[in-house]
Amino acid sequence: MVAIEDIRSRAKELLEGGMVRAVLGFRRSSAGLLAEPTFVVASEDVASLVWDATCVHNLALYLVNEKKRQKAERTPDTRPLAIIAKGCDSRAINVLLQENHVAREEVVILGVSCEGGGVVDTRKLADALRGKEAASAVCDDTGKVKVATASGEVTFPAADVLADRCLECTIAYPSVSDTMFGEKVDERGFTARFAAVKSIAAMSEQERSAFWDGHFERCIRCYACRAVCPMCYCDECVVDSTSFIVSPMTTAEEKANRIRWIQRSTTPADNAMYHMVRAMHLAGRCIDCAECERVCPVNIPLRLLNTSLEQEALEMFEYTPGMDPAQPSLISSFRDDDPNDFIR
Amino acid sequence: MSEVLETPVQAKKEAQEFEPKIVAFLCKWCSSAGSDLAGVSRLQYPPNAVPIQVMCSGSVSPLYILSAFNKGADGVLVSGCHPGDCHYLKGNFFARRRIYLVQKLLKFIGLEPDRFRMSWVSAAEGTKYAQVVADFVKDIKALGPQRKLKARN
Repeated sequence: MVAIEDIRSRAKELLEGGMVRAVLGFRRSSAGLLAEPTFVVASEDVASLVWDATCVHNLALYLVNEKKRQKAERTPDTRPLAIIAKGCDSRAINVLLQENHVAREEVVILGVSCEGGGVVDTRKLADALRGKEAASAVCDDTGKVKVATASGEVTFPAADVLADRCLECTIAYPSVSDTMFGEKVDERGFTARFAAVKSIAAMSEQERSAFWDGHFERCIRCYACRAVCPMCYCDECVVDSTSFIVSPMTTAEEKANRIRWIQRSTTPADNAMYHMVRAMHLAGRCIDCAECERVCPVNIPLRLLNTSLEQEALEMFEYTPGMDPAQPSLISSFRDDDPNDFIR
Repeated sequence: MSEVLETPVQAKKEAQEFEPKIVAFLCKWCSSAGSDLAGVSRLQYPPNAVPIQVMCSGSVSPLYILSAFNKGADGVLVSGCHPGDCHYLKGNFFARRRIYLVQKLLKFIGLEPDRFRMSWVSAAEGTKYAQVVADFVKDIKALGPQRKLKARN
């Protein structure tokens, strides 16, 4: 178990030395169980930093957002930003480094290993608690999660309350870090990797088709999955074009003939298109933080789409995203012995 | 009287037999020339494939493929040069990897895998192109129209 004091003292050191402009971490939120992301700017505020099983957010997203914000600033603070990163967050940072979206000297990574634990899934926890409200959740070293409620502490086995991605995670330690807290744990012994995807892939074609139709039908196209994804940093998205400028001079013909790759209407077919385009754009980039699935207001299992491609990438191309910023990306590289037998 | 009426109705029914719409993305340097060769050699093959010439099979974005299905295609064919013959040296290798992923994704969400196909057709392989299209049309006729990804307007 990582001691929060170690992280706080390192954060304090960085802030007092003026080596970073802020420390991006988690603090207790004013409402709800989950910790909330915070920028700690003053060294006396490091005491607000927390580290437990409720730190679910992928903070790499704020690295991307901060970069956008900084671009608009007239006199930006060019000191690096310190970021507290779990294994998955660090892989997201690695992908951003690989794509040259963020430079290595712009971040100080305080990597934290999840060791034998992970983060909670609020939906699973709500089911397990049956109406009781959780006040805190902490993983211990024995694969159990201690949840404090108003009527005392309850202990659950990890499989009941931890997020699916944590149960399937095999790389629970940071793949890139300046300071690492905690131990590298390789044997976690929860679920087999890609267990969820394999169970869907084992369905018959009709079942799978019906399964996804049922889910895509519900999509309300709120684009929360896109907003929360650290990899979805394009200025313009294929689903809502911002570069088509309509002026009084724009003719009706121009408006009518503009390319609409995907309609905005929430028909099942267009929803499926949107999610598949997103999955393709994340092929070889998604590091399975499952934030898209967590924020989905209608509970579409979006993680499955991305992990299915992650599985293909691993099994057919031996590619694991986010392990090495120097490796060429999945779809901008090839090998002579890539699968060829599916081609006529 | 009824016998007299039946014949034209039946004829109409036969005319309305499902004819699949296939969008074929053909590489300008090989497959497009291959389809041309099939034409000038007067090979008989189904007219269902609408060719779209692209500069390289590697330039076919997954979005084109999905969009074709969305706009009502029953099948999509991507055809390029044999590995090692790419005009741009490695475009078809990139295409191979990308299209493999698209195919797996389409399969994962439950679209029949037979609706999306890739082939290597060189400029000299007119007969192969005709064969690929004929096989594709036959397979899609068995599957029927594609409704899963088609936008309903």
